Amino acid sequence: MQRWEVIAVVTGTAALLGASLFVTQQLRDLAAAYPRCLDPTTVTAGCDAYHRAVGRLDMPASLLLQVSWAAPFGTGLVLGVPLVAREIEHRTASLAWTLSRSRVRWLVGRAAFVVLVTVALLAAVAITSELLAAAYAPARHLDSDFTWYGRRGVLLVVRGLVVLGLGISIGAVVGRALPALLVAVFGTVLLFTGISLAMDRWNAAEATARPYGQGESDALALGARIELTDGEVVGDAYLASLENIVIDADGSVYSRFDPDSGLPDRSSLVGRYRELMLPGERYPQVVARESAVGIGAAVLLLLAAGAIVRHRRPGA
Amino acid sequence: MSDQPILTTRDLAKRFGRRTWALTGIDLDVPEGGVTALVGPNAAGKSTLIKTWIGFEQPTRGRVSVAGIDPWKDRSAALAHVGYVPQSPALYDALTVDDHLDLAVQLRPGFDRAYARGRLDQLGIPVAQSARSLSGGQQAQVALALALGTRAEILLLDEPLASLDPLARREFLHVVTDAVRSGGQTALLSSHIVTDVEQACDRLIVLGVGRVLLHDTVANALAAHAVASGEVPAGERIGEFADPGGARVTLVRGAAQAESESGAARPATLEEVVLGYLASSRVTLDSAA
Repeated sequence: MQRWEVIAVVTGTAALLGASLFVTQQLRDLAAAYPRCLDPTTVTAGCDAYHRAVGRLDMPASLLLQVSWAAPFGTGLVLGVPLVAREIEHRTASLAWTLSRSRVRWLVGRAAFVVLVTVALLAAVAITSELLAAAYAPARHLDSDFTWYGRRGVLLVVRGLVVLGLGISIGAVVGRALPALLVAVFGTVLLFTGISLAMDRWNAAEATARPYGQGESDALALGARIELTDGEVVGDAYLASLENIVIDADGSVYSRFDPDSGLPDRSSLVGRYRELMLPGERYPQVVARESAVGIGAAVLLLLAAGAIVRHRRPGA
Repeated sequence: MSDQPILTTRDLAKRFGRRTWALTGIDLDVPEGGVTALVGPNAAGKSTLIKTWIGFEQPTRGRVSVAGIDPWKDRSAALAHVGYVPQSPALYDALTVDDHLDLAVQLRPGFDRAYARGRLDQLGIPVAQSARSLSGGQQAQVALALALGTRAEILLLDEPLASLDPLARREFLHVVTDAVRSGGQTALLSSHIVTDVEQACDRLIVLGVGRVLLHDTVANALAAHAVASGEVPAGERIGEFADPGGARVTLVRGAAQAESESGAARPATLEEVVLGYLASSRVTLDSAA
C-alpha cells in the first residue's frame, strides 16, 4: 500500500548502488594498474597519471559518500511518514482498525515490511559505501579509521531505522502525509543534532588532547581546549573573551602582539591550544556505541508509534 | 428477535474540546436482532455514539457496552462482535475488490471470504476492478460485504446511505435486511433521512443534539402518534413543525383513537414522528437559551 514510495526508494537506492560500484571499480582498476602509487604520503616517480585519474574521480566519490550519508534520512522519511499518516488521511484506518481486532498487530504487520525494506536497502548502501571508501583510500585501514565517519558502514542502517521510527510516530500523530513529512524533517534535524551532541560529549570524555596540528589523520576530532598557563583547561569558547588572539604555529595562544617586532608578545602567553581526538583504533567501539544508542532510540520510537496508534482516533 | 440488549449505554456523555458536548447523558438498550434506525439531524451525535461502541471515542462520562464488553477497556474483544461500515466507504483506491477481501482475511481471524464474495457476485460488483473505479454505490456495497464477511453478530452502519443515489440506497438496504433476517444479526443503521430507513427498520432511535428523544419499535411509534393541524386533540404535545404545504402541524402522542378518526388528527407517518421529536428538542433548546 506504499507502492510508490517503495518503488521510489528502491530506484534511488539502485542508482546509488550502481554509481558507487561503478566508481569503486574504476578506482580499483587504477589501483591495480599503479600498485606503487597508492600511498599518498610518499612521492613516487611515474605516479602523476595515477593521481590525475584519481583526482577526476574525487568529486563523484565524495558526492556518492555524501549521498550515502543522506540515504538513511531519505529512506526513513519516505517509507516511515506515510505508513500510518496516509491511512488516517484517506480514512482507510477506520476500515483496517475495525477489521483488525488489534491495532498494534496491524501496525506491526505494516511496519515489519518497511523495516525489512529499509534494512535491506541500507545494508546494501552500507556495504557499497565501505567498498567505495576502501577503493578511494586504499592505503587506509578503514576498520580502525574515522575517515568518512557516518557516511559508510552499519551506522547507515541504524540511522535509517531511527528516522523510520520517528517518521512513523510523527505520521501517526499528525495524520496527514505532507504536513507530517515537514514536521518529521524538522524532528529528524532536532533528534540527530541531539544524538550528535550527546555522542560528542560522551566521546570527548574519553578523548586525548593533542598538541595543535599533531593529531593523526585517522582520528575523530572532537573540538579543542585551551590549557591555560596556570594548568586550568578551558573550552575554546574562552578565546572569545580575549580582545586579541594570536595563535602561533605550535599552538601557543597569546593575547597581544609586540608592536616593534610584529610577532606575538611572548609575555602575553595565555596557554596552549589542544585538539581533542579519539584515535582511529577506537572506531569500532564508537560505531558500536552509536549503533546501540540508535537501535535503542528506534525501538523507543516504534513503541511510541504503537502507543499513538492504539489510542488515536482513526480520522485526521 | 430477543429483548436482550446487545448494545447499551448508561449516562453516556461525550465532550469534544472544553465546551462542545456531542452526547449528553444517553441511556440506551438496543435489543438483539433486527435493524434499528438511528435517526437525527447533522451534528446530533449519531456518529459519535457509534464510534463509542467500536472504541474509537472514549466516553467523557458514563458507560457503553457491546455484547457485554466495554469497548474502551477491551477494544479487541468488542470488535470481535462488530462489523462496521463508516460514513463514506473508505477503501484502498489502488487495491482491487478481491485484494480487499484478501486483506480482510489477513486482518480478521475467521473472515468469511466466500460469503462476502458471494454477496458481491450477487450484486454484479466487478471484483477484479480497483476500488477507485467503482461507483459510490458499489463502494458502499464492498464496505458492507467486508462488514458482513466478519460474520459479526452486530453491524454498525454509520450513515452509509448519505452519498448514494436512490437506487443504490434501495439495494444497500435490501442487502442489510436480507443479511440480518437470514443471519439473525443486529444492525444499527444511522441516517439523517427518515424515508431511507422506514422500509428496512424494526426499531427507531431519534437522537437530537446529544439526547435520545424517542426509542421504540417502528410499529409502536406509528401507532402512538398522530398529527393535528388547527385544534390539537388531547394527548402529549410533542412538537410543532411545518408540513410540505407550509401549514403548521403538531405531533401528539397518545391522541385518542376516536379523535384521530373524527378528523381532528390523522395518523402520523414515521417522518412526521421524527420531525415532531426533533422540533421538540429545538423548542427545548430555545427555551434553555
